[in-house]
Amino acid sequence: MRLVGANVPRVEDRRILTGRGHYVDDIALPHMLHAAFLRSPLAHARITGLDATGARQAPGVIAVYTGDDMKVISKVIRPVIEMGVTPEYYPLVTDKVFFVGDLVAMVVAESRQQAEDACELIEVDYDPLPPVLTYETALDPAVAPLFGDLDSNVLSTSHVEGGDVEAAFAEADRVIEVELSQHRIANVPMETRGLVADYDDGSGQLTVHAATQSPQGLRLQLATTLGHPLDKVLVLTQDVGGAFGLKGNIFREDFCTCIATKQIGRPVKWIEDRNEHLLASGHAREEKISAQVAVTDAGDILGLKAELTMDQGAYPGLPFGASVFPAFITLLLPGPYKVKGYSCDAKVVTTNKCTYVAYRGPWAMETWTRERLIDIVAHELGLDPAEVRRRNFLEGAEEDRLITGLSVSGITSRYTLDRALELIDYVQVRKDQQVARDAGRCVGVGFATFIEAAPGPPEMRIGGGMFGGEQAKVRLEADGQVTVITAQSPHGQGHETTLAQVVADEMGVAMDQVRVVHGDTRLTPFSVVGTGGSRAATWASGAALINARKVKEKVLAIAAAQLEIASEDLEILDGMITPKGVPSKAVPLAQIAMQATLSPTLLPPGTDANLEANERFLGEGITGSGWSGGTHACVVEVDLGTGAVKIVRYVVVEDCGRVINPAIVDGQVRGGVAQGIGQVLYERAAYDDEGNFLAGTFMDYLLPTAAEIPTIEIEHVESDPDGEIGFRGVGEGGMIVAPAALTNAIEDALLPFGAKVTEQYLPPAKVLKLAGII
Amino acid sequence: MQVELIVNGSSYKAPVEPQRTLADFLRDDLRLTGTHLGCEHGVCGACTVIVDGQAVRSCLMLAVQADGSEVMTIEGLEKDGKLHPLQEAFRDCHSFQCGFCTPGFVMTALALLQEGTVPASEEELREELSGNLCRCTGYQSIVEGVTEAIRRTTGTASISAIDGGAA
Repeated sequence: MRLVGANVPRVEDRRILTGRGHYVDDIALPHMLHAAFLRSPLAHARITGLDATGARQAPGVIAVYTGDDMKVISKVIRPVIEMGVTPEYYPLVTDKVFFVGDLVAMVVAESRQQAEDACELIEVDYDPLPPVLTYETALDPAVAPLFGDLDSNVLSTSHVEGGDVEAAFAEADRVIEVELSQHRIANVPMETRGLVADYDDGSGQLTVHAATQSPQGLRLQLATTLGHPLDKVLVLTQDVGGAFGLKGNIFREDFCTCIATKQIGRPVKWIEDRNEHLLASGHAREEKISAQVAVTDAGDILGLKAELTMDQGAYPGLPFGASVFPAFITLLLPGPYKVKGYSCDAKVVTTNKCTYVAYRGPWAMETWTRERLIDIVAHELGLDPAEVRRRNFLEGAEEDRLITGLSVSGITSRYTLDRALELIDYVQVRKDQQVARDAGRCVGVGFATFIEAAPGPPEMRIGGGMFGGEQAKVRLEADGQVTVITAQSPHGQGHETTLAQVVADEMGVAMDQVRVVHGDTRLTPFSVVGTGGSRAATWASGAALINARKVKEKVLAIAAAQLEIASEDLEILDGMITPKGVPSKAVPLAQIAMQATLSPTLLPPGTDANLEANERFLGEGITGSGWSGGTHACVVEVDLGTGAVKIVRYVVVEDCGRVINPAIVDGQVRGGVAQGIGQVLYERAAYDDEGNFLAGTFMDYLLPTAAEIPTIEIEHVESDPDGEIGFRGVGEGGMIVAPAALTNAIEDALLPFGAKVTEQYLPPAKVLKLAGII
Repeated sequence: MQVELIVNGSSYKAPVEPQRTLADFLRDDLRLTGTHLGCEHGVCGACTVIVDGQAVRSCLMLAVQADGSEVMTIEGLEKDGKLHPLQEAFRDCHSFQCGFCTPGFVMTALALLQEGTVPASEEELREELSGNLCRCTGYQSIVEGVTEAIRRTTGTASISAIDGGAA
């Protein structure tokens, strides 16, 4: 039976279902201490005095660290990856605090409670400074730079263009202008951040048990910032309770905790509480785009001019700060449409808010903007939004390119739109909508289409693309078991299962004969991303597959010489090396593996007893367009009494190529859609006018529950179903496009009131405002 | 203070500080780390355990309040190496991803099964589960898993309204 394509039960499940998973907070080392942080209550202030005497004398306290201590112990934090300009900063603040939640001091004590209690005994005097909280203030040249070593609060600027934008605008019947803004939200995995750092003074080894998406990225940044030899930093990661981009970051608390264990010589654990998490772990998505769209009255989209502004908050994310992301947004903004001319200017500003981090499809502003603009254009011209899309789609023909230059040969945007509208019964929905409106009800239908470069077209993959492909190691053990060592660091994606499916099929062995190893930097290959960027489906699967093939070739060469048969005439069936058509002569794979391990010198001459392979996968053999994508369509009903939005139906047509495990893929899509729904209707990482954070508990930061998320119907378009490495990324797509589909539906519902949705956050009060009721 | 309680069928007698939560007692003192802490303010439900037949948030209950009680945690479901039907249904329906919220959902669903009052519709089941947060799944597979477990443990006659959900 082929495993790829089947709903194979997950390898991970038994330990999790029996309470025997190993999450970072489950680790208890002998003599382990606990860290807690004193955080800033102000958005922007100078520290004029700090007295930690009381804390140092408090019960159970082993050490108290202040910014002055850190300045001596730690190096300046420098990102290992170049991006924009970054301020000079340390693990703890040295003279000024830059957001509510900024790190003022750390206490290490025998228990977490003692550490937390002692934090309250530290006396800090602050001299408040005016905070920078808006794009306007940050862009105002009259406002002093927040960071003394930077010239302004603008961290990076960039410009992208394609085609002839002025000619496109000159041809237009009209130009539609709109400013769209996305609000600040957060990743909010159910497990907060945390680590256990354990320094061994004898060997000099720093062992870090971490909840991270990228053990190797963490290791490299820790070694660099701590000035600790890289070969003596070991990062171990077992189960991780969700991340969604957040835990791809390396945090200042990580440096502090590692510094503490090195100074004290005992293991130190830091587990964040939920309030700290919401306040200070990372926020995402605060971006705005001012756009001008040049159109004909018939609905041709000729040109697009845009200005993007992103709010990074106070400090750069590590290793990928906000300044890394405009390149993705500006590249994809015009999307799979036949725009003739395009230009976009982007700016990233720094403010007195929590640090920007990547969150599931960090470039999603492009999809929301574009798909919102198309509906706005359609409404302005009195056209059906579906027809405007159909009129402008690139077809995926061989010569088709985005206006920004990338090939989109093979994309299926038009098909997914047509199919989604068919599934949702668009014609009938429009009729029902009229009936509902006549009866005083408020029903809307919305849809949106996206493409995602996961892995991207061939020109994005030259030399393995921006991360140089992906490494994996495959080894045949002496007992015939296959070990796959991946650079991925899964945290819910089920890679222990999906990579095993790919390798088991290639090796001709059963699922339980393959074990996937991750999260141990002594074994796992380098990847600065780890699990992120929807890379696993293509890059990790490809890396596992090509190396499994290498190992298989070696084994078959040995068996062929022993059986005196050409290796092309051999196959491996259920762990048996079998001459094709002669199953009676089969030899167990384990027999060859044992011989190669115990008696390598007795193997036939010219064969290789080293039954492992770790070639870097640079993308050879990837088939298909390289673009994941699809269309989401939904029907909503707005309650004009309460402003509540009920999602009546939600349909997804997704093209992520060949599907490895349908249940896992569907889970990724549904989880992404749920986060997109939460983003529009419930979630907001809100600050007041003084920079105080207003969403520090789950009573203020609202996550959707089972009662709010509807059934999500999914249909897959397996374009290129036979391609060998035709699997494409699917982790981010659901969340990228859901806000566009949902806000389009809500605007559609409210069109009789002349509503135009330009801000993405639509809680009940905002919905009622759009309807003109309040 | 001294507490005496039964956890997953075993008796424990242990000294405990008055302010220690049941969650910390289970995780740190008994090393039953399957019970997870997601918010420590009673909203997310990850720490749900069953105390004397009731699903409770172990982050909001003090260990001393559980004195004399019978507690069941996620570690107590598997018997003789065989998964409980709820665990099997969660596995078969791919009802979780990262698994951090899973023990809480399983214990909430177990209390529901043990009460014997079967939700009349998917909507009602979703309401029953709305005290637990999951950030990975979008809930559909969890609803399917619980539905499937109810079907397997009570026969096919129940919750006809949610038959479609587990297809």
